[in-house]
Amino acid sequence: MEPPQRSMVRTPHKSVLVQRRSKSRSYRQSYRSCSGGPSRLCLTPALTARRLNTSRRPPKSQDITDKLKAEHLALLVKTRWKLSYVTPLYRFRHTQLRSYSRQLSAFIAAEQQRGVAVEVEGTQSGFRVSFSMLQGLASAENDDPETVLIQVHSKPLLSRQDEPQKLVWSGWLTCISGNPEYLSSLPRDFTCLPLFGSSGADGLTSVVKSWIQQTFDCCLGRLELNHTTLQWLLALWTNCHAQSNIQQLNMVWTLPSAPPLQVSFTVDPQDAWDLWRSVRKASAQEEEEEEEESCIDVEEVTRFLHGLKSHFYRHFRLELSAGSLSQVGTALGWAAVSGRIKMSSSRYVVTTLALLTECALLKMPI
Amino acid sequence: MENITRRLLQRVVRRFPSQTLRATLDKWERLSEAQRRSLDLSKTKWALTEKLLSICEVCDTFGVWISGVSRVIYVIDNPNQGMWYAFQLLDPKDDAHSVDLTQFKQQFKCHLSQLMRHVSIKIKKHTDEAVWIRIAWGDALSRPDHLKPTYVVYYLQSSHVFMTSLNSKLKPLLSQALVLSTRHRGMKDANLSGRNLTAITDLLMKRYQQVFPTKYPTPLAEKNEIESHPHIEREQAGAAAKRQQMACEAFGGGVLPQLQSAVYKLETRFKDHTNKIMTEREEPFRCVVKFSSVNLLESLRHCASSGIASTPVTPLLSSVPLKGRNSFVITDNGRSPSSQTQQSQK
Repeated sequence: MEPPQRSMVRTPHKSVLVQRRSKSRSYRQSYRSCSGGPSRLCLTPALTARRLNTSRRPPKSQDITDKLKAEHLALLVKTRWKLSYVTPLYRFRHTQLRSYSRQLSAFIAAEQQRGVAVEVEGTQSGFRVSFSMLQGLASAENDDPETVLIQVHSKPLLSRQDEPQKLVWSGWLTCISGNPEYLSSLPRDFTCLPLFGSSGADGLTSVVKSWIQQTFDCCLGRLELNHTTLQWLLALWTNCHAQSNIQQLNMVWTLPSAPPLQVSFTVDPQDAWDLWRSVRKASAQEEEEEEEESCIDVEEVTRFLHGLKSHFYRHFRLELSAGSLSQVGTALGWAAVSGRIKMSSSRYVVTTLALLTECALLKMPI
Repeated sequence: MENITRRLLQRVVRRFPSQTLRATLDKWERLSEAQRRSLDLSKTKWALTEKLLSICEVCDTFGVWISGVSRVIYVIDNPNQGMWYAFQLLDPKDDAHSVDLTQFKQQFKCHLSQLMRHVSIKIKKHTDEAVWIRIAWGDALSRPDHLKPTYVVYYLQSSHVFMTSLNSKLKPLLSQALVLSTRHRGMKDANLSGRNLTAITDLLMKRYQQVFPTKYPTPLAEKNEIESHPHIEREQAGAAAKRQQMACEAFGGGVLPQLQSAVYKLETRFKDHTNKIMTEREEPFRCVVKFSSVNLLESLRHCASSGIASTPVTPLLSSVPLKGRNSFVITDNGRSPSSQTQQSQK
């Protein structure tokens, strides 16, 4: 692959989208293509991390209720999202959201005419798309690109003229606490919004995805949450118990027996918290640090999970490690290995999205 | 009344899958051969309902009765709908073994209608000694609700009762009527439930292939095999065969009753030699573990024979087939640290 700076020089800055599409060259950028060849690019000396951070600060509750519109917040918190990763968007402008709304509406209509199934049950054929910025959904320190919310409305079938349109699909593109070195290493015309969440009919999801791919010359792919990510989520949520009750700590393991066996393991919140504290305390003593200040280390997460698994083994003599962790959930959120999440508590949305942004950045293809 | 009948019959007919409609109608003894033949099943269900209604008007029988019996038949043929709960009758009286169907029918109806004024009871004996009871409940002000009936299956002269869709408020009434009419002194929850009625009855009555410990699990092989590494192969095969044998001893051999889940409520001390703080904690570590699978017992047997679960199988898991229950509460026996492995099951 050629260094992206040169390709940028060749592209006239004022070129129209359609013209650019006619060329066969692609300007797709990814985390790894930037970090992969530091010797050639000499841009990103610090970017060698290909793994998830091994330690992170304990999540701080962040009140975003007054920053976001109530309806947007309710949508974020009440919906189960399906996650995808997105490579950096080429020539995406936050100032052009209005024009994107029109373009996407037209694109959906065109796809419909081509016979692509985008019908949503019980609605009329016309779709209205709106793009909006979710200002305020960002971490306090980082200078991340603003989150973009995409909503598709349609009129219910057999409705009266004056009835309001119904929300049939929604999705967002976000970047929270993205690696600052990576973000600054991107060429100027690229915007990095690596995490894409969607909820709604599958037909519409794939149409919106293909529009994003074509318009911003990027790649989208399924973001599966691996074992480590799920464990991190579990630990981060448990760590919040003192401030906001987690109600219960639930894990679902799938064991590879014939027929497959599912083990759902639910722990009392207070006991889970005590176990987590005991794991934290042990390491805090070693490092002689203040408990509140210290970062959470991946070792503590592993030890926490080990404690839970060994308690299980002591009773059932069954190795949970033989299977895989497929779901985790607390009152603050829920996540499954398939890449579906729910962020039930508005106070920790930012923390959860920060971790998922990191996963999405890692998942991007080279 | 006319309207209620019509609505009920429509709902019932709509619920039957078209494939089983003929078989169900054939079992309906009130309809004469000619009447049954006059029904055209290729027509829509709505037309069929109209036809049935007209027949019933001629026969002067009423829809409530119709739906009652036909739905008992339907559930008997499709016993895997809804969740079935097992109960056990306790302390049989001396004459408990001589209760026959007529006596039971009469007594049960009598007792239950004394306890509840508006109640509709249908009793039907199935082929395998099981008595099927359908109860539609009403309250002081309303007629029995035929759309949400409770089904009870009782095996005559046994102590097992199975129920589905029972409201917890009505449970004491029903259990009192059952206890009195079966000549027992009490009834308790057997802590066993599942979607498949046949499976839970098989499990409770031990109608599956059990495997018992033997000294020579397989016929002795003749010693004329020549292998590359005879020692290694023999040892490995031996260990695998042993695991397999132990797994079968714990859960049974062959096809096992289809149980969907088992739930354990654990309230035991947390013990882990690497975690001193938690091990020293006085309070129990509270958690709930639920195992679920299409066929739980076969999954567990596979786990044990493939080594995911260590053998010998822990009594916690083998209690499911052994005691015929799938809901447990586990606590430490004593509060003293000496009770390391002793756990009691409540």
